[in-house]
Amino acid sequence: MSSRVGALFVYFRTVTQSRRHFFDFLFKFLLAIVILIVISPFFLVLIQVASIGFQQVFGSGPGQGLEFFTTFPGVGLAGGVRNAFVGTVELVVLAGGVGIPLSVFGAVYITEYTQAGWTRAIVEFTSDVLAGIPSIVFGAFGFAFLVDFLHLGMGIIAGSLTLAFMMIPTVLRTTQEALRAVPMSLREASLALGATKWSTTWNVTLRAAFPGLITGVLLAIGRVMGETAPLIFTAGNNLSVPTSLTGSGSWVASMPYTIWAYISDPREYLQAKAHGTALALMIMVLTIDVVANLVSRKVTRRLV
Amino acid sequence: MSNFKHHIEVHNLSTWFGKKAILKDISCYFEDNTVTAIMGPSGCGKSTLLRTLNRLNDLVPNFRREGEVVFRGENIYDMGYSVYDLRKHIGMVFQRPNPFPMSIRENITYGPKLHGVKDEDELEKIVETSLKKAALWDEVQDDLDKPAPNLSGGQQQRLCIARALSINPPVLLADEPVSALDPISAAKIEELIVELKKDYTIILVTHNVQQAFRVSDQAAFLYLGELVEFEKTKRIIEAPADERTEAFITGRIG
Ligand SMILES: Nc1ncnc2c1ncn2[C@@H]1O[C@H](COP(=O)(O)OP(=O)(O)O)[C@@H](O)[C@H]1O
Ligand SMILES: [Mg+2]
Repeated sequence: MSSRVGALFVYFRTVTQSRRHFFDFLFKFLLAIVILIVISPFFLVLIQVASIGFQQVFGSGPGQGLEFFTTFPGVGLAGGVRNAFVGTVELVVLAGGVGIPLSVFGAVYITEYTQAGWTRAIVEFTSDVLAGIPSIVFGAFGFAFLVDFLHLGMGIIAGSLTLAFMMIPTVLRTTQEALRAVPMSLREASLALGATKWSTTWNVTLRAAFPGLITGVLLAIGRVMGETAPLIFTAGNNLSVPTSLTGSGSWVASMPYTIWAYISDPREYLQAKAHGTALALMIMVLTIDVVANLVSRKVTRRLV
Repeated sequence: MSNFKHHIEVHNLSTWFGKKAILKDISCYFEDNTVTAIMGPSGCGKSTLLRTLNRLNDLVPNFRREGEVVFRGENIYDMGYSVYDLRKHIGMVFQRPNPFPMSIRENITYGPKLHGVKDEDELEKIVETSLKKAALWDEVQDDLDKPAPNLSGGQQQRLCIARALSINPPVLLADEPVSALDPISAAKIEELIVELKKDYTIILVTHNVQQAFRVSDQAAFLYLGELVEFEKTKRIIEAPADERTEAFITGRIG
């Protein structure tokens, strides 16, 4: 400890002795402050949400702790947000079930089976544009096209399809990037052994691209999980879980929607539940991001 | 078997990538159970010639070819000729080691499984014999389930040789297989190539004259897409008939 203090002392003496050292120090100091400003929103949000929500997610009162996830909303303090938790899981699973295969096979087709040219350029351009479109626009489109034009009505189908639309451009592009990163000579090695193109794509190319692909998928899932806007006009809301695929029985709650609905309620215990839900959602999304990160890092080490 | 003299014969082969002529009217053959070296300065079309033999150039969108490549009496570019069958009989080793991102074992069993070998014991035997032929068995026999990309460069290249041998092709193509390796690994693989010619017909691309001299029986010298000389390696190197060959051998071009 004392040696550290000593080192610090020496450092300050050097810093104050010459102009150049001093400016170097000043610059470092300013950069450190900038970094602090850059990362503080994350911690501020976390602190704000956790200060109210922690009790809900980890406490032991009525509707708190495990009960927060396992019971439906009740009267007053009682009950949790099982409807929202289950709803979000169902929506994301359905959206992924539709969106992931479509985007992965789409990316495989466009990258492995077509030559560079107009089709490819158009697909890539529209995907990039779609990926940048605000989510409320997807919500409006989901309402106009799925709910209204296709007469699907609000509910789990329209909601999850809207989320799927949102996932497709990102997953398609990240899958494409992952496929492109696979060296051509791996494909050639497989073909030179007498493999068909399909077998090569499936067993070698996709396998080599898998870690990159899974990273993209996880990030996309993490993103749509927290989206409110696409669901406002398409999924409805529900105090329980959906019981049918059409009609008002198919309406489904979600965590972001519940946060939005509860936070704007004057009753304080509902605001607390909103914070609890927000905390739970943040933890879920963070976990997914961390996993995605680990996977992608493991890969960079494993592939050449 | 039908009456053909050599496994592979090339008749009046010319190729283009787009408008650019690469190979110009090449005719040669590759004698069985020998090593034939394809030599020449870089860019002269060595890889192109090699990849025309197992139709790997078909993948290049604007590739065009005239002339024939005859494998066991049949033109491999004939309509209806199965490219999968062809590649089952003509293995290939590439310039840079390119193991699949799988375990060592899976790298070897990939080919046999493609061609219908399902029996676990048989696959196990193939893994062992292939790795032994590639002189890699002793080093990896306890690590068969470890990821192949963790091996050293030289080991990876021997694994790629073992992978090519796993389906027991009579012909083996090798495109500068040691140029990306350290000298010790390179020497090991050269030795291996000499060893393998007992059982395989080997076609080796190299731009290294010494290497051609050490390992090959015949040599073809390509210059700007032309086949300048095609002869016993010893003859070509000791008494080149063409001045371009001489210039290459003495290191004035290359
Ligand atoms: N896929 C390709 N598309 C277009 N041109 C190519 C392609 N591959 C090789 N070439 C051209 O063909 C010529 C011969 O290349 P290559 O056979 O690889 O030479 P070498 O193996 O003797 O160094 C070079 O000029 C190269 O630029
Ligand atoms: Mg080459």
